[in-house]
Amino acid sequence: MLPAAPDEWTIFEAAHLLRRAGFGGSPDEIKVFHALGRKKAVDALLAPDEALDAFPLPEWASREVAAEEMRERAMEVREMRQRTRDMTPEQADRTRRQFNQQRQRESRQRSAEAQGWWFERMLKTKAPLREKMVLFWHDHFATSFQKVRLPVLLIQQNELFRRYATGSFKDLTHEIVKDAAMMLYLDTQSSKKGKPNENFAREVMELFTLGEGNYTEQDIKEAARAFTGYQINRGNGAVTHNRRQADNGEKTIFSRKGKYDGDGVVDLIFEQSAASRLIPTKLWEYFVAENPPKEGIDALAKSFKDADFKIEPLLREIFLSKSFYAEKVMRDQIKSPIQYLVQMFKELELREAPEAYVLSAQQQLGQVLFMPPNVAGWDWGKAWINTNTLLSRYNVAGFITKGSQENEPVRNDGDGDGMMMEMEERKPARLGNAMKRAERNWAGPDYEKVAPRALREDPEKLIDSLLFRFFQSPLGPKEREAFVEYARSKKGAVFTNKETGELCHLILSTPQYQLA
Amino acid sequence: MKTRREFLRSTVLGASASWTVPMFVERTFADLHMGARDLATQPVTGKDGTILVVLQLAGGNDGLNTVVPFADDAYHKARPRLAKREKEIITLNDYVGLNSSMPYLGSLFKEGNLGVVQGVGYPNPNRSHFVSTSIWETADIENRSNTGWIGRYFDNACSGADPTVGISLNKTQPESFGALKNPGVCLSSPELYRWIHGGGEKAQAEEFFASLNSPEDDDLPAEGASIDMPAGGKVGGIQGESNLAFLERVAMDARVSSAKILELAAKHKTKVNYEGTPIARSLNMVSRLIAGGMPTRVYYVSHGGFDTHNQQVNSHDRLLGQLDRALKSFFADLKAQGNAERVVLMTFSEFGRRVGENASAGTDHGRASCLFLAGEGVKGGLYGKYPSLTDLDQGDLKHTVDFRGVYASVIQGWLKTNAKPILKGDYPTMPIIG
Repeated sequence: MLPAAPDEWTIFEAAHLLRRAGFGGSPDEIKVFHALGRKKAVDALLAPDEALDAFPLPEWASREVAAEEMRERAMEVREMRQRTRDMTPEQADRTRRQFNQQRQRESRQRSAEAQGWWFERMLKTKAPLREKMVLFWHDHFATSFQKVRLPVLLIQQNELFRRYATGSFKDLTHEIVKDAAMMLYLDTQSSKKGKPNENFAREVMELFTLGEGNYTEQDIKEAARAFTGYQINRGNGAVTHNRRQADNGEKTIFSRKGKYDGDGVVDLIFEQSAASRLIPTKLWEYFVAENPPKEGIDALAKSFKDADFKIEPLLREIFLSKSFYAEKVMRDQIKSPIQYLVQMFKELELREAPEAYVLSAQQQLGQVLFMPPNVAGWDWGKAWINTNTLLSRYNVAGFITKGSQENEPVRNDGDGDGMMMEMEERKPARLGNAMKRAERNWAGPDYEKVAPRALREDPEKLIDSLLFRFFQSPLGPKEREAFVEYARSKKGAVFTNKETGELCHLILSTPQYQLA
Repeated sequence: MKTRREFLRSTVLGASASWTVPMFVERTFADLHMGARDLATQPVTGKDGTILVVLQLAGGNDGLNTVVPFADDAYHKARPRLAKREKEIITLNDYVGLNSSMPYLGSLFKEGNLGVVQGVGYPNPNRSHFVSTSIWETADIENRSNTGWIGRYFDNACSGADPTVGISLNKTQPESFGALKNPGVCLSSPELYRWIHGGGEKAQAEEFFASLNSPEDDDLPAEGASIDMPAGGKVGGIQGESNLAFLERVAMDARVSSAKILELAAKHKTKVNYEGTPIARSLNMVSRLIAGGMPTRVYYVSHGGFDTHNQQVNSHDRLLGQLDRALKSFFADLKAQGNAERVVLMTFSEFGRRVGENASAGTDHGRASCLFLAGEGVKGGLYGKYPSLTDLDQGDLKHTVDFRGVYASVIQGWLKTNAKPILKGDYPTMPIIG
């Protein structure tokens, strides 16, 4: 067990827990959270009072509708084959192309809906740790719209992550073997007896459970044979294990012989000692700090194994530990773009986000939901920041804090005027319009609430209040004094909401604000 | 070009009489004068150094329809709908010719300023866009490296350089810029590459912003920053550097480069016409920055859309035409500036396409492809052996030239430094430069 922290805690520690185990909160939310005491606050995070289905899925993402659509699709494909049979090759190509283009349009539209749905959930949820863990699993078992192409499969995988958010990692890994999005992403869908595809077998060991160096190439080859025969039924989306396509022969994996199937391999994996170290290490990096100390991971690995790979006790141990609240840990994590955005909205007490703008901001800042760059997920920490993304963060903050009235909008890709790269596909016109609408209509935060008029009469109090809102820690005295001076110069008749927005923008345009 | 410290001293100190510069910045200046001892040593750049422009053809360029083996029956057989006939190409020799969408490159070849490297690839190629791009950018075929090949060049050969030693005209930093010490800077658009204040008392707020984003002390080690170990992550970073120190450093790099780049972008007007395509705009920007005398050694630009699975002919010819016209404007512009002989441009793409066309008159992900080196510093001609179109590996061309050999030729021949520590090995070079 990690040495525990006492139940008494400071409001800064409470804010730290809410930032790391969630997406932060408004000053009032932090005060309520602090009043619970450390232990009850951790309990509240781990046992949230919010149903798993509290946020209804987009209609097309429900299992029933999805299955119905799949049947229709299969029929359409058959019909199109019939129709193109008598056409010239050119005509047939054109028909097929039109068919595919329409599919792609719909798929892009749905991807954007799914991205908006999840972002809104993160912003509004009363179960922030759960959503933060969903993001953790999405990064860990990374799959992307770019290869999977069917948004419904990713949103259902997202629901899987929510069900298992703090549950058994072992059970979740068993589920992932039969998850349709993962099967398409890592090619288990097309892995057949006699021609096994090693993609999933390799990643499940290297990235998902054991880590490099804890298996042999032979283990991968043999495990790949065991992951054959899993198929997605194109008629209803169900995953089945087709005995005829599966390699049922004897395999030798981790020096054990047996006629293993996919589940058998997962069971074998969890008998390896490395399986109890990888996730504690990643969780430490995700919630606490990079480069975890060996003793810390030793302690957690033991707890993890004793708990039969359940996540909940592991998180409790971390959030109640002394190390989690160490001085060098607090406010020293570079926010991911998603953390940055959600936390900023919460701190500004915004309940709604300009949806298309948020998606565009994710692209500019380098983390688009449902589109991790590869199976290893995103690179965290310093990798989020370069000169371009840092300036983009400052400018996104400018747009959000000030609203659209006199702001030069941060331009979207492909809108023509700027020097834009054509790295990604151009966004469909509809999304481009939504983006323009979002830019035109964004009113900005309610500054009467964020910085009440009375407070503006006292620059010192105003700054302290805003610094607590945005940093939840005492900022260096020099920086504080600089902001106080700025506020002083704006005091009195000119200190309108516009000046408040400007001040907030400056406070957010700092290296310090990039840290959580 | 100013170093970080010089920048602070001249620009902000000059303005420090204004109340908007807070005390903590002013106090820093006293330290800065003391700190002049580690004034960065500038690499050979400025007005006369050589410059490399790396141009990525993103998506996997079809080498077969770029440098066309028109005389090969196997080519026409494999691509009944896509193959270029002899009259549709610009002949380079009796076997290959350039896609006729590239008349400028054709003339460059005749003038002896275009090197065409054929059959470029690497062992055990990967058909994933991402992995293969990463391999090209890190020059590590195991794809395990934390740093990129250009970043390692910055680290090894440009110690103490200004952050603008490398400029990527991209939204995000290309993996090839990944460095331990100096990863260069990126920008997607010069107009947006700045802190956007948006109304109000702009000058005041911007100055205040500037002071907020000047680190109190940039704590780079005094003696040329010798760093042995990466701090982890694909971007590298300085060992032991705290996250805040890192953020302050990037903020400072952004400020220094943003001010300079905006100034130059606004100042220099090109007399040459460029098309409105993204690649032409990017190259226009590069040429303006070169004209402005940036100390940049390597520029990085991207031209996307080469993932031509469907109806390839129109899209591929169009992309190559855009490339050709952009390069034509770019080199004409450099010539007008008197900088033509300082610049070599190299293209690359993560892989080529399959030899045979697919059912939708497109091509799928393949392996070996060609790349171009252009500029007055290039010894024009054909390099490498065109891969056999009949001796294939699962339908794909077998590479005849390792891309790291091309990098080595550029690093040694053009950037004039030892390639071995940068590429972490010896690769056979070709006499394509000089």
